[in-house]
Amino acid sequence: MNLDWLDAFLISGLFEVVMVIGLGLLLHLELGLARIANFGVVGFWGLGMYTFGITYVKIDWPFGDPMQFLVCAVIATLAAGLSGWLVGWLIADQDTDGVLVGTLGFATVVLILATTQQDLTGGALGMGGLGFPYDIGTVKANELLWLLITASIVALILFFVWRVHRSPYGRLLIAIGSNEPLARSLGKPTYRTKLWLFAIASAAMGLLGAMYGVMVRFLEIANLGVEITLAAMVGLVLGGTVRVWGAVVGVFLTVGLFDILIQSYIPFPREWYTQAIPVLREAVFGATLIVVLLFRPLGVLGDMRRDKLMRKLHGR
Amino acid sequence: MAVDADDAVATAAVAGPQIRIRGAVKSFSGRVVVDVDDLVLGDQPIEGLIGPNGAGKTTLMRMVMHSIPLDRGTVSLLSPGGGEVVLSDLSAYRMAHHGVVKSNQVIMDFDKLTIWDSLLLAATERSNERPHRIFGEEEAAFVRHEDEMRRHLEYFGFTDPMGFARSAGEKKLLDIVRCLLLQPRFLLLDEPTAGLPDELTDKVTRVIRELAAAGTSVVIVEHDLNVIWNLCAEVSFMAEGRVILKGNPQMIREHRTVVEKYLGEGHV
Repeated sequence: MNLDWLDAFLISGLFEVVMVIGLGLLLHLELGLARIANFGVVGFWGLGMYTFGITYVKIDWPFGDPMQFLVCAVIATLAAGLSGWLVGWLIADQDTDGVLVGTLGFATVVLILATTQQDLTGGALGMGGLGFPYDIGTVKANELLWLLITASIVALILFFVWRVHRSPYGRLLIAIGSNEPLARSLGKPTYRTKLWLFAIASAAMGLLGAMYGVMVRFLEIANLGVEITLAAMVGLVLGGTVRVWGAVVGVFLTVGLFDILIQSYIPFPREWYTQAIPVLREAVFGATLIVVLLFRPLGVLGDMRRDKLMRKLHGR
Repeated sequence: MAVDADDAVATAAVAGPQIRIRGAVKSFSGRVVVDVDDLVLGDQPIEGLIGPNGAGKTTLMRMVMHSIPLDRGTVSLLSPGGGEVVLSDLSAYRMAHHGVVKSNQVIMDFDKLTIWDSLLLAATERSNERPHRIFGEEEAAFVRHEDEMRRHLEYFGFTDPMGFARSAGEKKLLDIVRCLLLQPRFLLLDEPTAGLPDELTDKVTRVIRELAAAGTSVVIVEHDLNVIWNLCAEVSFMAEGRVILKGNPQMIREHRTVVEKYLGEGHV
């Protein structure tokens, strides 16, 4: 397959967009519906990424790819889900401040472990040895296929979120986010619901981390900074925290515009790309977050329209 | 909603459950706000709980619901058949599973949910509110509960159930309808008619009578004493965190202590 027409930067830029959309959608369930302010997205994502890397590289499996990839990805997903369950157990009945500190603290723990456990993770030197679970020819073709597979997973997450909005489960999440004591008085197990939501969303974040690990094929602790969490948070807030399509619209407007348009198609001096642009990116994202929260706190798409949805579903 | 409004006290066709509160104490910042030695609610189908502001009525109701924990003491649900459930050992969300339900004194609502949403939330079974149940459950829940919800909405005159509850009165009524959809066995109503016009107050009192006649035990905390005198067969009087008197409405309204501490001279 001749892919000369396709820019390699475009594939990696689109992969970043797709992955952050996935994280933003999961954050939408937590923050947008149940009002759990998870500021440790990168912790669950990073735990999935490194668990995948360690199990894939360090264990001598009796079988090869694609089974090796599948087994390692499942382990990574379960590990992230279990960590989400444990963190959720600690924070599910905390107020926003407690949730913020707990999740940020968890992300910091993951970063410290990845840095210090050099035998397993390679520490600051990084960890290689990862690869695609298939080979269909060129690196570009492999990356394109991996982008499509990841996009399919994110599409499934989007479908799940879309269905959640149209289900009693989604209504329960919104009720917990709106007025948890009232939901509890109606017999709803609010703590348990938040706990399982956190575990499931964390597991999916871990899977996306594993997918990222395969795409980059070299794990670095630099990935475990605030960038991933900030990108998902800013994209979601800009698009609309409470809307199904909020993360999709917002991430295209932020990561999409910046990583694809600015980094790939605007001819800045070459030295800017290694130092100035990554810093500028975080500054622009931070400023975007402040501006949106000041002038349009509900984001581009605005508020949830349950009245419209109810008329559509039950208006007869 | 077919029971006629009259001033007669409802008589239960079926004996309802009781709630027994023993040695229940609650303090805030070292100040005892509730100290109830032994109180049984539900001797009569509809009972009232009255007292001046700050007497501890709402705190006592919240202690029953375990929405605030007791410093000490127990709250139990006694079934007519002889079973006993220690409510104060349970999580707050499990009260509704035992049929113990309470409406709220202050206006409480879900600001992101429509009226339909709010009622469907109350009516939907827990097993259908799980993350893997996201395909047919919404329609199934609506079909299962639509008639009941429409009946309540029409009775109370909600004009746009697909929209949001706007006025304080609508939110107050919505709170009551949510309680009704939970099929309560023991219903605590904290100022259920506060702020409602007379017509709606009458409708609420009719619903209460109907529930009691069907076997639900009802306890009403209310400052509108006409509601208490008209509905209740037994009334408890609270002051300074303690239940001082319990008896029939006539005895309570004429009792010297109640007149001095709450009603004032010339009330009767």
